Amino acid sequence: MQPLSRAVEVFLLLQSLSVVSCTFSDPDSGPSAGAGAGPAGGDRFKIEGRAIVSGVKSQEWVSSARVLVEGGEYVGFLRTDGSFAVHDVPSGSYVVEVISPSYRFEPARVDITSKGKMRARLVNYIKTSEVLRQPYPLQLRSSGPHTYFMKRETWGWTDFLMNPMVMMMVLPLLIIVLLPKVVNTNDPEMRKEMEQSMNMLNPNPELPDVSEFMTKLFSKGSSKTGGGSKGSRNAALKRR
Amino acid sequence: MFNLSRAELIIHIKNLPQFVGKVQFALFDTHSQASKKLLVATEKNIFASLNSRTGDLFWRHVDKTGPDGHINTLMMHGQDAVVVVGNGRLLRSWETTVGGLNWETVLDTGSFQSAAYIGVQDVVRYVAVLKKSAISLHYLSSGHQKWVENLPESDTVQYQTVYSGGNGQVFVLGVVPNSHIVIVEYNIEDGEIMKQKSVAAPWLSSLQSSCVMVGSGVLLCADPTTKSLYTFPLQSADQTTMTPILLESLGVEVAAGFQPVLISTQPHPARPPLSEFFLQLGPDYHILLQLKDGLVSTLRDFNPSYLVAFATTGEKTVAAVMSPKNETVSILFILSNSDPFHLHTYSVIRANGSNASVINLYSADTGRRLLDTTIIYSMDPNGGKPLYIHTFLKKDDSVGYRVLVQTEDLVLTFLQQPGMVVWSREEALADVVTMEMVDLPLTGTQAELEGEFGKKADGLLPMVLKRLSSQFILLQAWMSHLWKLFYDARKPRSHVKNEVTFETLSRDEFNLQKMMVMVTASGKLFGIDSKSGTVLWKQYLENIQPNSVFKLMVQRTTAHFPHPPQCTLLVKDKDTGLGSLYVFNPIFGKKSHISVPALPRPILQSLLLPLMDQDYSKVLLLIDDQYKVTAFPSTKNVLQQLQEMASSIFFYLVDSSQGRLSGFRLRKDLSTELIWEVVIPTEVQKIVGVKGKRANEHVHSQGRVMGDRSVLYKYLNPNLLAVVTESTDSHQERSFVGIFLIDGVTGRIVHEAVQRKARRPVHFVHSENWVVYVYWNTKSRRNEFSVLELFEGMELYNSTVFSSLDRPRPPQVLQQSYIFPSPISTLEATLTEKGITSRHLLVGLPSGAIVSLPKMFLDPRRPEVASDQSREENLIPYSPEMPIRTEWFINYNQTVSRVRGIYTAPSGLESTCLVVAYGLDIYQTRVYPSKQFDVLKDDYDYVLISSVLLGLFFATMISKRLAEVKLLNRAWR
Repeated sequence: MQPLSRAVEVFLLLQSLSVVSCTFSDPDSGPSAGAGAGPAGGDRFKIEGRAIVSGVKSQEWVSSARVLVEGGEYVGFLRTDGSFAVHDVPSGSYVVEVISPSYRFEPARVDITSKGKMRARLVNYIKTSEVLRQPYPLQLRSSGPHTYFMKRETWGWTDFLMNPMVMMMVLPLLIIVLLPKVVNTNDPEMRKEMEQSMNMLNPNPELPDVSEFMTKLFSKGSSKTGGGSKGSRNAALKRR
Repeated sequence: MFNLSRAELIIHIKNLPQFVGKVQFALFDTHSQASKKLLVATEKNIFASLNSRTGDLFWRHVDKTGPDGHINTLMMHGQDAVVVVGNGRLLRSWETTVGGLNWETVLDTGSFQSAAYIGVQDVVRYVAVLKKSAISLHYLSSGHQKWVENLPESDTVQYQTVYSGGNGQVFVLGVVPNSHIVIVEYNIEDGEIMKQKSVAAPWLSSLQSSCVMVGSGVLLCADPTTKSLYTFPLQSADQTTMTPILLESLGVEVAAGFQPVLISTQPHPARPPLSEFFLQLGPDYHILLQLKDGLVSTLRDFNPSYLVAFATTGEKTVAAVMSPKNETVSILFILSNSDPFHLHTYSVIRANGSNASVINLYSADTGRRLLDTTIIYSMDPNGGKPLYIHTFLKKDDSVGYRVLVQTEDLVLTFLQQPGMVVWSREEALADVVTMEMVDLPLTGTQAELEGEFGKKADGLLPMVLKRLSSQFILLQAWMSHLWKLFYDARKPRSHVKNEVTFETLSRDEFNLQKMMVMVTASGKLFGIDSKSGTVLWKQYLENIQPNSVFKLMVQRTTAHFPHPPQCTLLVKDKDTGLGSLYVFNPIFGKKSHISVPALPRPILQSLLLPLMDQDYSKVLLLIDDQYKVTAFPSTKNVLQQLQEMASSIFFYLVDSSQGRLSGFRLRKDLSTELIWEVVIPTEVQKIVGVKGKRANEHVHSQGRVMGDRSVLYKYLNPNLLAVVTESTDSHQERSFVGIFLIDGVTGRIVHEAVQRKARRPVHFVHSENWVVYVYWNTKSRRNEFSVLELFEGMELYNSTVFSSLDRPRPPQVLQQSYIFPSPISTLEATLTEKGITSRHLLVGLPSGAIVSLPKMFLDPRRPEVASDQSREENLIPYSPEMPIRTEWFINYNQTVSRVRGIYTAPSGLESTCLVVAYGLDIYQTRVYPSKQFDVLKDDYDYVLISSVLLGLFFATMISKRLAEVKLLNRAWR
């Protein structure tokens, strides 16, 4: 087991080989973001943007939404028109996300150089150095409401009939009924061939056969029948 | 088995209690008459709007924790609320109906002193913010800065107050302690200094504590040493000294320890303050004074009075005075009011004795008591504090009012005249520290049955009779239950009352409903019904130090009828380490009368043993700093058991300041001996956390079946400790997170791993045979999960008993890491009764969502390439990034802000785990990690099943008949 875990570590290392240092050297870096270096000193900046939910008035959702930079290290609030600014952020690279219990927003990564140049790009946790530029100031468009619930499975006749298990049951049944009529089973050569093919179907002779197991269990006495079937059901559940 | 239908679930969700914490500022939206918004700013850096009719939240904005998000002041004008945040760093204006920002401005650094609205010609246009060395003026409409000016000589003068009388002047007042007051007048248009004056005041040290502005621009200060008031009109051209007024000349008796506090009011920011003001002469003594033409006159004397406040509506200003209730006044009051409601309140007051207080309104300009304005309420007078008084004009032109009161145990109560509690909120619940879930007691009939088996045998015939009678009782209960079901079924669903009281409180069939015992940081205990969220009992422990550490233990569960259940709370002072025990009944909240051992020495460790005394309460051992052990309860029986067991009782101590972990064994005389010691050098790394396994965790799956049908046995060491360390070097290239797995009995380091380029926040869970930990990867700037799983191998060394002392082979350790695409607030694992159900990890996110993440995703045996065997085992092929699906959010859109902890408890159903997430809000739900395999779905199709069964039955009948006919035919042939 040891080699396996090591292999995984190596894999992870490969994934994160290249580092994005805090100060990236990108000559044509984004809009000349002279954006609001705080008057106090040159080392604090503000991240600006706008969150948009198309088709919904901003008044309906801004009160429950917040802007989290790096998971709450810096917090911003939305204006009544959906725009936001997060103040007092030092230079670095941050994941900016708008969180709302009702609408889903994609996060964005914002890089701020020590001189205050800004750029936004897609968040990619695997290839952290990859740059897929996004507009700055951020334009975060909601991709719709959150789906919290899975659709309940409904039951219909077509589902039942199209179920692969049912298909698998129906087809052999047809073969069992139809095949003897088509093929002459009295022919000894044919019979031999069929036996061979049946053996092929059972792939692993070492594996205990479920049917065999069941017959053994049933033959012990009818009193144990209930227990046996229950056990197998439990096993099935566990495996799920 | 329909235990939770959809409708019920939704009701469940809607009742999420949301809290705000201890309120600092409260204001009522007076913009319109029909308004019902109450704005509060709290110590938890929260700005929220409450519905004044119900006490529910309209909206709530949770800022970041710490001083950066601290709300310095809250002002209201029209529909907009102006808030200064983070020691004057940010100036925000909120639109209060929508709950969105109007604008936000960054201010210069410098410690915040005060802020004020500046009005020009009856209209409020600007807001002025005074910092330690600068003043800035901002437009109220946009937040843009009009001007900012440095204050003259700000290194010697402490500027503390900004004042505007409404006619376009801006005065900044500062003081040089024990020397003079500096008054600077600024031009409102360009910030130019118009006038600068200094007035001698050698007795004054702080403006904020002893001076107020009264009337049209008069500075009023109180001097405790000469027992006099000083006045100074700001606009006077020639006056250079303050005019003293001796308090004795007003006919006021002044006590020796006179600490004067002045309270004045400026109802409209564009107009000068009123000339009336309060002077507090003692802790319970206030007088209402008036300044007219430079002369001070007494309007009314309030002795005794706890608190006073001004309130304004329209043109009227009133003074509200809270005073202790004395019987004579109340009788007079009742004589004057013949209405039955007051009689009712009176009876309540009598029952509560001296805890009652009265609030009365007085006209501010005359000091006359306004009729019909008395509110009597029964709360602790020392803890109660009217935060905000909102007055309004009634139809008959008299003044009505509402009071928001906050008590020491953090209950917010909104009172309305006459003496009615409109709503109350338990804000202590915003700060839950620890909690436990306790099974509810059995119902009377169930208890009766239990009692039968519990008692000693007393003859054959009485036993038979008892048996029969209890069976009869059961039958009776069942019949009444059926009747109730039938009766309820006829009523529409919404009419069925689900009120929870102590009488209806009983364990349900599957033990899903439990009592949540919550301990809050303020020292208030709560008992909450887990089904409805109703607070059933509360208990305020006084004299709790603010930095106390709490540990809650269930010593006796409800299973031992007739012994009452028993919980023990260990309260430990963080600084001194001195502890105290509080023993109570978790179902009713009553303090138990069991004598508690005195704990004179600091407590280092406490452990609850599975041993029980003859009353079925588990034994609690407390280890003090001299490694002496105190047992609670310490009856003879317990001590005897302890002596027998002593050689197998081990415990460990952690000293994170010295990086030392040490293991001890109990001796027969309740002293201890050191067995092992592991020192983690503090120069390199420090211990972040130590976690053992939960005592109530069961594992009923000894191993994992592999693809080739062999079994990989789990290393299930119940004594294993997971120790997480963090490097002291925080440089991103050299920082690391270390994890040690140490056997708590022998001190052997079972495994050790180091995660390089990692730093905090570290969260970890230790359960079964695995440890999952989360850290921040400094190199790739992302959160990563790592899972360690321990296996014994293909065969068990000793399959019957696990002993730490007899384990020759070290376990095999597998590890895998994954990227988690979000930061994490807290981490916990699900827990079920028998440990058969697969596990989920519950991850609290900063967004407030709780994700139920299948442990299957965190399996170090996930292969890089799927093979037949791994498919057989249902292993998911490895992928570096873990998904977060919103379908996995167990709290849907009911986010739990600032989630601090997640508590899991097993229920009576193996498939179901009860989950409580607490932070600012409390959310309780059930999770089914392997789906509800032991419960029929609520839409289970009985009709289909029975029709299929019937169909099959008839088909067999018919085919049997047909077969018979066929056989007969064949026989004839």
